Amino acid sequence: MVPHLEDPLKAPAMVEVDGAFDPGAEVFADLPEAPMMEAVAKGARRNSAFGRFAAWVFGLLFALVLAVQAWRFVTGLWAATPWLGYVALGLLVLALGVAAVQAAREGLAFVRLSQLDGIRQAALRAHATADLAQARNVVARLDRLYAPRPTMAAARAKLAQSQADVFDADTVLRLTEEALILPLDALARAEVMTATRQVAVVTALIPLALADVVAALLANLRMIRRLAEIYGGRASTLGSWRLLRKVFVSLLATGAVALTDDLIGSFAGGGILARLSRRFGEGVVNGALTARVGLAAMEICRPLPFVVAKRPGVSATVAQALAGLVSRKPKASALS
Amino acid sequence: MRAAELRAGVLRGKGLPDRVVRLGVTGLSRAGKTVFITNLVANLLARGRMPALSAADRIEAVYLHPQPDMTLPRFAYEEHLAAMTGDDPHWPHSTRAVSELRLSFRMRGRGVLGRVLGPQVVHLDIVDYPGEWLLDLGLLDKSYEDWSHSVLDRLSKRPEGAGYLALARAEDGSLPLDDPKATALAQAFTAYLHAARQAGLADCTPGRFLLPGDLAGSPALTFAPLPKPARLPKGCQWAAMQARFEAYKTHIVRPFFRTHFARIDRQIVLVDVMEAVHRGPTALEDLRRTMAEVLLAFRPGRRGWLDRIMGTKRIDRILFAATKADHLHHRQHPNLTALTEALLDEAKARADFAGAETVALSLASLRCTVEDEIARDGMVLDAVRGRLADGRRIALYPGELPSDPARLLAPARAGAPRWLNADYALMAFEPARFAARAGCGPPHMRLDRAAEFLVGDLL
Repeated sequence: MVPHLEDPLKAPAMVEVDGAFDPGAEVFADLPEAPMMEAVAKGARRNSAFGRFAAWVFGLLFALVLAVQAWRFVTGLWAATPWLGYVALGLLVLALGVAAVQAAREGLAFVRLSQLDGIRQAALRAHATADLAQARNVVARLDRLYAPRPTMAAARAKLAQSQADVFDADTVLRLTEEALILPLDALARAEVMTATRQVAVVTALIPLALADVVAALLANLRMIRRLAEIYGGRASTLGSWRLLRKVFVSLLATGAVALTDDLIGSFAGGGILARLSRRFGEGVVNGALTARVGLAAMEICRPLPFVVAKRPGVSATVAQALAGLVSRKPKASALS
Repeated sequence: MRAAELRAGVLRGKGLPDRVVRLGVTGLSRAGKTVFITNLVANLLARGRMPALSAADRIEAVYLHPQPDMTLPRFAYEEHLAAMTGDDPHWPHSTRAVSELRLSFRMRGRGVLGRVLGPQVVHLDIVDYPGEWLLDLGLLDKSYEDWSHSVLDRLSKRPEGAGYLALARAEDGSLPLDDPKATALAQAFTAYLHAARQAGLADCTPGRFLLPGDLAGSPALTFAPLPKPARLPKGCQWAAMQARFEAYKTHIVRPFFRTHFARIDRQIVLVDVMEAVHRGPTALEDLRRTMAEVLLAFRPGRRGWLDRIMGTKRIDRILFAATKADHLHHRQHPNLTALTEALLDEAKARADFAGAETVALSLASLRCTVEDEIARDGMVLDAVRGRLADGRRIALYPGELPSDPARLLAPARAGAPRWLNADYALMAFEPARFAARAGCGPPHMRLDRAAEFLVGDLL
């Protein structure tokens, strides 16, 4: 007999339930999608709805003002001297067309960049889940990406042949990295070293304050743009700026660590050089910073994660770049 | 030029000694040892299909060297390869005797030191032998009494054993030894062993009874398991059988083990898991127990500096490989690997504890299928297509291996008569014809990974 309870809600109960269950099921089966730096980038406060509304209003207003001004300009000219009005109208149409083309190209560049990012994410997932189908998909996407390059045709053919005998995701990705990406890495490293050298020399030699800053910035932008091109992105102004921003976010995410480990040598070396010449010391430090930016950009643009190749170190790159300054054979050492 | 000659001379005089790596290929009969060795050698000679072998680009030349052991026949590599790749490709015949092979690599050195010292020679010694004989390693630490007891116990559960069991039960071990009767008993027991092997059972000891060679009829091969009598008078039949069992161990099993297995550096354990799963829970459990017993004979462990100085050998890497992976679609390979790992768990855990590196892998020594699809009830099944002995070509979906190996191993251990909720079909595919590609060996699955794990670090 069931003993009487003061609170009937405390009586034991038993119900039959349907449905299978699995106590050992993995709760955290999903992998984190974004690497750390993107998490940092996303962590930076997202614009609020009001902010976006404000931007929209101001943007619209600005566009309206521009359009009205242009219209007034053209109609005003028309009223005064009709043929000048026609010229102005033609130029305006041309300018709009050029702007549209430019915008399309920038958009395409963004798409290409995000494509590189997507390929890398897919490769990371294929690695973690050992999913052969996904790994093959990554290889196919890379193959399409590099199909227009005649210099890579041989490597692509060799890869396609050896891939037929492979049944493991990690081997597929390793072979792909070896065949397609390692040669690009060598080019990218040479590019980073050239920029490092340029910045170091410019800082040491240009006597004007601020002029060296501008020169260093231009060299950095050029380098980032070239890196994106090497790995299959498309050169574009806005794209480069966006990449630069991403690079700085990534530098911020890892910056504290970097300053303590691999930049300390450059700073110390810079210190000794600075005793000899202040400008040379600054040159070395600026060069090291450029190398750091370049290597971060390399990591962002590289369509596969570093697995076979080791992530290049800043100190080694700077040392090699500045040694090349003296021996004048940077390309050979980069490709060895 | 002169400097190179001088260097070579110096090296020849003082000697960087050639390195010798002994690879122990272990597997029961029909596990595919011969095919594995043949195709491994073929693919090491022509390395076009070995992308995962990282040392491949440092290999300057490979050569099938005359083997070092003067008393053993040479492994009939060319003959086996011709069988597998000829106009009418078929599997090589089962191995009936021990044979040996030496493959020599001339390796370009690594780094600055390697460039100074020049190329180094590494020899890879591989021994092939009848898989039946491997079973005897499980006898080494068993007494005649234990062995008889366990064999008779197993016989009582098997229909093939009824005949011999009746004979043995009728026998009185305390009677004096009568040679014709002993011969008759041994023959009856041999007949049982043949029947058991035919039925796909793994534990058919003593292995020499199946393939005696020139030892047939000798006393060391004329014994059989008998129940222990209550009294053991001097010279009785049971005691004589015991003495012969011991002689079998001392004069046949130990020398075989000592010459071929005691000094190996790397080991690959080939297991035909798919076949056992296909045959049912009994065969799988049988395979598990047999492999656990056999593998107890080996001494895995990390080689310390003392070992290196004293020259003692230890097996520091063991690869557990499920063969015939080409009978399954690659999507199921992870499940096959997991099953293999769980099946050989005892040996694997022991080797891991001793400090050896172990890896489980699904491989196909000679790939004889391509992947295919079968549509059934609106679903698409991942199948493989291959060629049967009678020339038919079929697409086969062998059934779904569970991702949790316990779904198979637990019923097997509990002695279930058949699989619950699962069925497996398996066909004996013959090797397929393939178009030869320049610089490539015959097709395979993951032989390159196996080679990388087994010898990649020593090349």
